[in-house]
Amino acid sequence: MTMAKANQAAPVPRASLTARAPDFVRSYGIFIFLIAAIVVTFAISPAFLSGANVSNMLMQLAPLGIVVIGQTFVVLVRGLDLSVASVMATAAVIATSFGGQNSDAALIFLACIGMGAATGLANGLLVTKRNVSPFLATLAMMIVLQGLRFAATQGAPSGNIPSLFRQLGSATLSGMPYNLLVMIVVAILFGILLHRSAFGRRVYITGGNPVTARLVGIAADRVTILCYVICGSLAALAGLILSGFVGVVDNFVGRGFELDSIVAAVMGGVALSGGRGSIAGALAGATILVVLSNAVVMVGMPVQLQIIVKGLVIIIAASLYVRPARA
Amino acid sequence: MTVQSSSLRRFFRGSQVGLFVVIGLLILLFVIGVSVSDRFATSRNILNVYEQSTGLALVSLGQTLAILTGGIDLSVGSIISLSSMLTSGLINGNPSMVLPVIAGVLLIGIVIGAINGGIITVTGVHPLIVTLGTGAILQGITLLYGLGPTGKVPRGFDYFAYGRLPAGFSVGATFALVVFLLAAFLLRNTRTGRHIYAVGDDPHAATLMGLPTRRVIMLVYILSGFFASLTAIYLVSRFGVGQPYTGANYTLSSITPVVVGGTMLAGGRGGVLGTLLGVYLVSLLNNLLNFLDVSTHFQLVAQGLVIIAAVSLYVEKRRIA
Repeated sequence: MTMAKANQAAPVPRASLTARAPDFVRSYGIFIFLIAAIVVTFAISPAFLSGANVSNMLMQLAPLGIVVIGQTFVVLVRGLDLSVASVMATAAVIATSFGGQNSDAALIFLACIGMGAATGLANGLLVTKRNVSPFLATLAMMIVLQGLRFAATQGAPSGNIPSLFRQLGSATLSGMPYNLLVMIVVAILFGILLHRSAFGRRVYITGGNPVTARLVGIAADRVTILCYVICGSLAALAGLILSGFVGVVDNFVGRGFELDSIVAAVMGGVALSGGRGSIAGALAGATILVVLSNAVVMVGMPVQLQIIVKGLVIIIAASLYVRPARA
Repeated sequence: MTVQSSSLRRFFRGSQVGLFVVIGLLILLFVIGVSVSDRFATSRNILNVYEQSTGLALVSLGQTLAILTGGIDLSVGSIISLSSMLTSGLINGNPSMVLPVIAGVLLIGIVIGAINGGIITVTGVHPLIVTLGTGAILQGITLLYGLGPTGKVPRGFDYFAYGRLPAGFSVGATFALVVFLLAAFLLRNTRTGRHIYAVGDDPHAATLMGLPTRRVIMLVYILSGFFASLTAIYLVSRFGVGQPYTGANYTLSSITPVVVGGTMLAGGRGGVLGTLLGVYLVSLLNNLLNFLDVSTHFQLVAQGLVIIAAVSLYVEKRRIA
């Protein structure tokens, strides 16, 4: 895709340096904005920060956050994954296609993660070995998965989700949603992988400058493929959790998550041109999306304004990140 | 001059590859169709396939131009939805309102396109993100205007969608065909047409050469918005009413014929004739799958596989920063 072009403007070595020694605004702007949004909404509607509403927002945050973590890996290597929502819905359909007993839970979990990983592998192979643009490769996989899902369920999925997943997706531990705990564990594990491991450094180099990556002996293709596999697997996990939250399965569990997850990552400072960004920033982006959607309702604006506000924030946030990269 | 001549060479190389692949696939589908059913190759069925290609053709034309410059327009679906609601909502059955409303709706498409192009050129944000954002805003505005089908159109408004010329050719599809041929001619033979390729090929070089890069980018998004609004008028003509989600599927499906027709997402290579054949391919594929009595669910799988097959045959140019 054309993302490589945007990167031409920013000298690449500098880009990977800024990932480590970032200037104040770019690394903390998102958190400041998040706090400002919370304060303003709270001032207009104090119910916004009531225990029940906060718990509700955190429960909505968890599935999106898990997808965003995976999306971050893919965007870091100059890609993007449009198939995540389709993977989520497929995971939800898989979850109900067993008997609905808790004894099947482990099997369901493995089947879902396997499906997500396989989708990611296909995406990664198309992108690296056939040089298909990530947009198209993942778009095509999205459509194929959707078709297979429709064919398998005859358009009307049915069945029950094991109560274990219902618990995980919708129960709280004295106000703290279980699904948020899952997201935190995932964030810590993949945060260590990305920010503290040799593999993580390879991800940044591969995305920051593929030529350098090749010259220093990094198997850039393998790194890229692994990023797509991580993204697919995490999307499947998020689909399982979301289906436990929704309770009813339809063919479109997770609809909109592909765009929301990309938007959240971009708002959180993950550059579409690759090699720059962090999981903490991406999660802050996801939190802003959830807070803004909630705030629109809490301050009494019509629901339609949710997507208008979302659209405005996308453009404003993205333009704030482009400017410093140009200077 | 070197930029222009090299982009011209690429243009011919790129579009030829694209055309061969699509023509090959079209012939393949046709042969399968003929062997499946006697009714497939009848003029009645083929004219049907032709008629059903109209909406996709119009929106894909604008999308092709955006992609040729290395961009993309993800707001077309919302532009279509908004324009369709405004068309039937403002006409509201009053024949004297038809022409002013059509002119107004097309102008709205142009203005939205200019806003897209303006944000892209001023902020430098990737078109994917910009049009995603404006698309969300426009969908919100559409839903503020109305949550369900709104307004109605007078008798005769369906001429664009269902009218037939002599020999049974659909009015709308023939209009789209003529517009495509005109666009292909202008792309090849005008300075602006060559600028579109040059900007998509290498925006840096194009700027350094003194080409009006920003104006070219503005132009393609304005045209994309215009054709999205035109698609909306076609859809109102076809369904008789505007609907708030009527364009939703067109955002992504407008990209399929473009890439199947050999236009590279990286920009600078491909052309509108490939897209036109890509549109006919999608239309023929859906028709054939109906004949094969394939469950509609597998039609999606087939579309996805066609995209994968086609794009795997083309190799995107590698951009090494």
